Amino acid sequence: MSESRLPLEGYNVIDLTAHRAGPTAVRQLADWGANVIKIEAPSSISNDKGSLIGSRHGSDFQNLHRNKRSLTLNLKTEEGKAVFFDLAKKSDIIVENFRSAVKFRLGIDYDSIRKVNSRIIYGSIAGFGQTGPYGKRPGVDQIAQGMGGLMSITGLPGQGPVRVGIPICDLTAGIFLAQGILLALIDREKTGEGQWVHTSLLESIIQMLDFQGSRWLIKGEVAPQAGNNHPTGTPTGVFPTSDGHINIAAAGTNLFDRMSDAMNADDLASDERFRTGEGRTENREEVNERISVYTKTKTSDEWIDILNEAGVPCGPIYTIDQVFQNEQVQHLGIAKTVHHKNLGTMKVVGQALNMTATPQPDTLRMATPELGEHTDDILAELGYDNDKIASLHGADIV
Amino acid sequence: MSTGRLPLSGYNVIDVTAARAGPTAVRQLADWGANVIKIEAPAAIDQNRASLTGSRHGYDFQNLHRNKRALTLNLKTEEGKAVFFDLVKEADVVVENFRSEVKFRLGIDYESVKKVNPRIVYGSISGFGQTGPYGKRPGVDQIAQGLGGLMSITGLPGQGPVRVGIPICDLTAGIFLAQGILMGLLDRGKTGEGQWVHTSLLESVIQMLDFQGARWLIDEKVAPQAGNNHPTGTPTGVFPTADGHINIAAAGTNLFDRMCAAMGADDLGADARFRTGEDRTDHREEINERISAYTKTKPSDEWIDIMNEAGVPCGPIYAIDEMFANEQVQHLGIARSVQHSQLGELKVVGQAVNLTATPQPETLRRATPDLGEHTDEILAELGYDAEKIAALHKKDIV
Repeated sequence: MSESRLPLEGYNVIDLTAHRAGPTAVRQLADWGANVIKIEAPSSISNDKGSLIGSRHGSDFQNLHRNKRSLTLNLKTEEGKAVFFDLAKKSDIIVENFRSAVKFRLGIDYDSIRKVNSRIIYGSIAGFGQTGPYGKRPGVDQIAQGMGGLMSITGLPGQGPVRVGIPICDLTAGIFLAQGILLALIDREKTGEGQWVHTSLLESIIQMLDFQGSRWLIKGEVAPQAGNNHPTGTPTGVFPTSDGHINIAAAGTNLFDRMSDAMNADDLASDERFRTGEGRTENREEVNERISVYTKTKTSDEWIDILNEAGVPCGPIYTIDQVFQNEQVQHLGIAKTVHHKNLGTMKVVGQALNMTATPQPDTLRMATPELGEHTDDILAELGYDNDKIASLHGADIV
Repeated sequence: MSTGRLPLSGYNVIDVTAARAGPTAVRQLADWGANVIKIEAPAAIDQNRASLTGSRHGYDFQNLHRNKRALTLNLKTEEGKAVFFDLVKEADVVVENFRSEVKFRLGIDYESVKKVNPRIVYGSISGFGQTGPYGKRPGVDQIAQGLGGLMSITGLPGQGPVRVGIPICDLTAGIFLAQGILMGLLDRGKTGEGQWVHTSLLESVIQMLDFQGARWLIDEKVAPQAGNNHPTGTPTGVFPTADGHINIAAAGTNLFDRMCAAMGADDLGADARFRTGEDRTDHREEINERISAYTKTKPSDEWIDIMNEAGVPCGPIYAIDEMFANEQVQHLGIARSVQHSQLGELKVVGQAVNLTATPQPETLRRATPDLGEHTDEILAELGYDAEKIAALHKKDIV
């Protein structure tokens, strides 16, 4: 399938991002076919390559930066900036996640770019927003998870705040920004003009609060820690089995009856107090305890088969290796192959989305590039001759 | 700014979604300007409208379905389907999240719709994928959180699986689908042809595993529960204060030194065992305990000021009400107003991304419609006369 078209083919993207949030936005564009040039400082001028993403050949970096080419460029020199503006003239999109003030200091902010290319769409991610009282604060995922309220509603009641096991603020900020860039491309088709689109870790996690946010805004109710139970639908939660835990989601009365039937739990089905959803939620602790008595008698696999057979949503609680070994996950093919010239063939996490006419290839187009791997190619595409390219190398501009 | 253009103005969307994942996709389109028609069964034929998103006038439903118009339509009748296909002829996008086989049974699947309008971009969300061994299983957020491995890496080591406090599989499936629809529209601009785009709760949470997934696929390491500490960067985590908890993210050696200086923690800064990131992670428990001894001496607010002043990422762990009251959150304006004809002015959760040329209006265009609120208006737009509309009402088709 790797020969088929991709929806973002033909769009040129300049990638100035680092860490995780910005690269996540760019990955959405790169995976779907954009021509992405990742700009990094030449090795001679950057003495600190260590970051939370780990080393370049590590699993995180390789998963994050596939499907793009690498150009080294020193943006702190006039000559380096001149190369940057040559690229900007031919580009559709620029993405950055510097601290909010940095792009202005470097002179590569949206207004500066627009002067040479009014069609540019310029995407930015900050920790807490581009302006405002915290506009200049350093922001990272952990801080945004706490500040956005997510840690106050994750975990079991009373255990103290709990972090979500993925960098959810980074990831969702990246995904929202990618979506904003697509919206701006659609808008540009009508107007011919680009625009600046930006989000932040904080705004992204607030949007993700969804009903837990509107619960406060509309109802004035502060969500407590949700634990493993659905806040209102009972029974929905984690139940112990003879060899581990399973999830059961049987909140509606029909589902509750089907579950009771499948478990031969006549005592549950016939209990008058449990006949309505409200009744079950009021007596949640007892309902869950009595369900647990049954679930403990068989293995997780047995219950998963029995309950799904009965039409009751039920599933395992997998570790990550088990996820990728699962037959349905294998059927979906979300672990995609990529060939790296030094690291060989490896698997990375593919896109969740299936586009039937323009699918993500089973083997990705490009592995994560080595630092500056495509510098000469990219400069040649700009029309630079060998002499000029050599002199840029000589001056550590690229 | 509320009169400005929006990027999806002029696109017509038919919304046959329910529950949360599908509506989340549609909300992205509706908020950004699409003309969305929400189709629901007429009151006479749907006895059981209760769902986990609560009652129509509740905070969840009102947050989820704003910016669309409502049409009642009985899709199980030939006459109802004829109305549906009249709408399809004028539409750009159809979104559904029935169980995978339902759209085929109803005869409103992509192939059927494409016959009357080949430009349609048709979006679907299922629990576990449209096909495969679990293709027909009932899927809800709780089940996907467990199946996708997320519950095995959230929470404190040893405490057993922990659910994330938001319906993250539903929300991310909706957001990924919306992105796919935008790419489908961009691709259509080049080819003139629509396509079927689909995702699932399971694929979405797997993509969200990000480096925790790549860690298995590339390194064959199974991520354990992450707890409140960053898995590799130390110190990054939750620390007790005199009046609660704060997050500190000071993993790099520069940041660690700044943190020690700001706390007056000479003993930490001088300890030779803590000079590198690896050393700090090896001694995480001791370091966190010794940091805690300092953080316990002052209230959270004082530490947050001191640390940020010193350039060390640090923030509060807010409950949801505290979060919305925060000065930076207020500055960002992510709580948006909407006017409901019966409920008055409500605040709902706005979009995370800021499009500077086509911003989300401060006051949203429309509140969540009541059931069938715009039925007559929409049918009149299709050219149906008053007599035909009355006949459809009479037969409970609309």
